[in-house]
Amino acid sequence: MKTLPLIIFAIAAIGQWAAPLSQIWTHEQTLTQGTLIKLKCSAPDPYDPLRGRYLAVRPEQREVSVPSEMKLASGAPVYAALTTGTDGLATISSLSLTPPATGDYIHLKTGYTYQSKASIQWPFERFYINEKLAPEADKWFAENIRSDKGIIAEVRVLKGRAVLADLSLDGKSFREILKERVK
Amino acid sequence: MNTSHQRWLLEQLPQWERDGLLTADAARTLRECNAVDESQPGLSQIVMGSLGALLIGSGLIAVIGYNWDDFSRPVRLLFAFLPLLATQIISFRVLQRGDAAAAWVRETAALLQALATGACIALVSQIYNLGGEWPDFLFWWLLLSLPLTWVLRSHAVAIFYLIGIAIWSVDQVGYGRPWNDSSLLYPLLLLGLVPYWPGWPAKAPLSISVRWVMTISAIFGLCSAAVFVSAYHENYYTYRDETFLWLWTLTAAALVLFPLNQVGIDESTGRKPQVVLGSLWLLGYGVAATFRDVSDDILKGASHALKLPLCWGLLAVLLVFVLLASTRKRWAVLAIASIALLPLISFPFVEGKSGYYSTMLSWLVTLHLSLIGLTLIVLDFLGKRGAPRLGALLLSVLIIARMADSHFSLLAKGLAFIVVGVAFLTFNFFMSRRHRQPALPIA
Repeated sequence: MKTLPLIIFAIAAIGQWAAPLSQIWTHEQTLTQGTLIKLKCSAPDPYDPLRGRYLAVRPEQREVSVPSEMKLASGAPVYAALTTGTDGLATISSLSLTPPATGDYIHLKTGYTYQSKASIQWPFERFYINEKLAPEADKWFAENIRSDKGIIAEVRVLKGRAVLADLSLDGKSFREILKERVK
Repeated sequence: MNTSHQRWLLEQLPQWERDGLLTADAARTLRECNAVDESQPGLSQIVMGSLGALLIGSGLIAVIGYNWDDFSRPVRLLFAFLPLLATQIISFRVLQRGDAAAAWVRETAALLQALATGACIALVSQIYNLGGEWPDFLFWWLLLSLPLTWVLRSHAVAIFYLIGIAIWSVDQVGYGRPWNDSSLLYPLLLLGLVPYWPGWPAKAPLSISVRWVMTISAIFGLCSAAVFVSAYHENYYTYRDETFLWLWTLTAAALVLFPLNQVGIDESTGRKPQVVLGSLWLLGYGVAATFRDVSDDILKGASHALKLPLCWGLLAVLLVFVLLASTRKRWAVLAIASIALLPLISFPFVEGKSGYYSTMLSWLVTLHLSLIGLTLIVLDFLGKRGAPRLGALLLSVLIIARMADSHFSLLAKGLAFIVVGVAFLTFNFFMSRRHRQPALPIA
């Protein structure tokens, strides 16, 4: 048996494990040690052929003011400082090219810029759900889209990385609400 | 001659020997010259093995897509990694067996492992609600699957990789993307297959199906890179059509001149998809360039393209390919490929004139194509390898094109079309009779 193909195969096999494991490691770190922030958002129900049903999570805040001295190209990576309001919901208060010294922040990309505002691309956009619950999620979403409470995205933030932990309505987990409705 | 033809020939030899059509020595020589490499899988083996692996892999992905809410995160992660581990063990066993492993087993193991890798990444991104669009997912999936083509020599995974990088590349044609996240990566991704083919030392020639997939993948990938570099900003983002059209033509010329060894050169044209598709584009482009308006656009496009690094890269590759083709005396493909470079020859003659409005290029291309057409016919009459029907077709198309943009009356144009049609059919008939000669005995 030749040695070189075996070495290449071993490296490839390790790579096939390392890629998902590194994702798991960084996301577990964020989920267990990150700060919980809440964002008001909307969530329609599309489908990914490879990963199944998900809710497309779109935080309501889409634009942020850009300091006049900051020149941003489309797709430029920036650090967004987060501030929590009296209602417990977080918003992006400012953008910077370096990580803020204090407070929670998210590393994200900007979209187009015009005048003194820049659109932002949130680093989370999908909340995967069970196929059985998906039709009920669709119905529930249509019923609640216009409510004042709104759907809340619960996000864990650590060192600029953000992981979507759950969705909730009126303090209740989205999955729990759906399971009760399906019963 | 492809493997199925060789198998057919080997099956006929005993009968031909019995019938006295072949001597024993001649039969032995034919057997030696047409020995079938049994380590290379047949098409049916690839199809059956791939189909089985695809069904299992797709089933796996569908099961994952269901999203097993009732299980905890560690259990679901176990679901992701167990199939990957199982397929890796199978591939390792196949690798251990080396040449003793059946071709279809090798194909199935490699494809299953590639699919299990994709399923694993998909499930992890589902469990952690990872963002990112499907092209990002596809990109990493392809890179993690690529080494399987090197070590297991899997044609199915190679085909999957080639299709995948072409789709990814077409999707990455976007405004304002950095080069390292754009279609410009395609050539590097294609070079990733070099250990698979030609390999070191050089492996067996590619099967015809992989050749076609590779050529079509290269066309989509390289053409999307050309479109990407042709973007410009003028109040809003847009692309210069005439620029990327000329870059496409340079790409077609590079495909046609892709270096071949003597065995490859001696193969029939139908087994060289890069020559077939590249020549079709170049001849179509050449005929279009005989129209003055189009030739003006081509000159504009070439002038813009010469400011792009990709264009100079293509020209450098072409130069190397031209030198290699010249040493191999591939005059026919050199003549066809040279159509792409005619705008460069025209530049000195149109310089200084208002805009690019000149008949120089259109006449140059007309003359060039006419010479190619005539040469293809004359070569055949001189007993060399020519293509008289293609030559006649080219001349007929040129005459029709010139008639179409002339100021003759409709009646005159109609009569000319009839004359050309009759001449073409007569020539075709004449060539059929000329080539109808008694078959030579085999021995």
